[in-house]
Amino acid sequence: MDWYTFLIIIHLIGTVLGVGGATFAEIFYFKAKKDGVIEPLEVDYLRTAYFVLRIGLFILIISGFGFLLFYRLIGAGEVLLNQKLWAKLGIVVILVFNAFLIQAKKIPMWLGASVSLTSWYGALVLGAWRTLDASFTSIIIVYIIAVFIMAGILEIVRRLLKIPKY
Amino acid sequence: MSTFLATFLVVHVISGVIGIFLFGGVALNALKQKPSLKTLKWFSFLGFLSLMISWTISGGYYYVTYYGKAVKPIIQAGATPWIHSVIMESKEHIFLFLPFAAFLAMFIFWFYGESLAEKPKLKSAVAVTSLLITIIGIAVILAGISISGAASIK
Repeated sequence: MDWYTFLIIIHLIGTVLGVGGATFAEIFYFKAKKDGVIEPLEVDYLRTAYFVLRIGLFILIISGFGFLLFYRLIGAGEVLLNQKLWAKLGIVVILVFNAFLIQAKKIPMWLGASVSLTSWYGALVLGAWRTLDASFTSIIIVYIIAVFIMAGILEIVRRLLKIPKY
Repeated sequence: MSTFLATFLVVHVISGVIGIFLFGGVALNALKQKPSLKTLKWFSFLGFLSLMISWTISGGYYYVTYYGKAVKPIIQAGATPWIHSVIMESKEHIFLFLPFAAFLAMFIFWFYGESLAEKPKLKSAVAVTSLLITIIGIAVILAGISISGAASIK
């Protein structure tokens, strides 16, 4: 197996764990909030989902830098200035700071949850959509719009399932 | 670039990223009402160790023996010379905060960790320090990516 294939596999594992962790964290949170009380077992499920998500983030970041090093060392380092790559990096940085803001309770939960889910799915889409030729600015504008669409979707789901407010 | 120097570049980048990630974990944990002291101690210790490896053993050697004579001239002669004069010049000074701030945070967790619960000001100060390490670290990482990219533009 060559280095590129190895990195692809590791990067995919990180993405699966991260996107899956973020999705299940939201599902478990909604289920836990449904009766208005978060019980110890539900806290345990949430902790597990966040743990998986963080492991995914770690694998994703390390394998992502593996790619950047790979391109640098094979002499294709100009990829490192690609606008799509910088948009993806920007989204990952937002994802990291969103985690700090949620932990410090400095961001409303509806926004924090939406930023987390949109960032994970956004990074997944940018990674998978190889032929996308868009500027940094246009990707970030679409990302910001997507954050509010995601917040709307989560609000609709919350109301449909009669889950108490965040 | 020789295999030896390429290995140093890989170690420099990966150990730096791991160090910053670990201090991100320290900051997240320290912001909790009841942080795990064991996690804080070991994450800060391993984070400090990673940053030292990234700075001294790998990055320092790479910078002294290779960057100045082989990478810097390419960037200066390329389309984005400001990436050396602004980004690299800033990076090579700003990053110096990281190992010292990391040592300070690690020292506090190992020697004053037990009393952090009774000293909320110290707890929030060390949480802010860890957060600053993460923020500066991310800026340094992004700078490194742009420098590597600029060195490849013909």
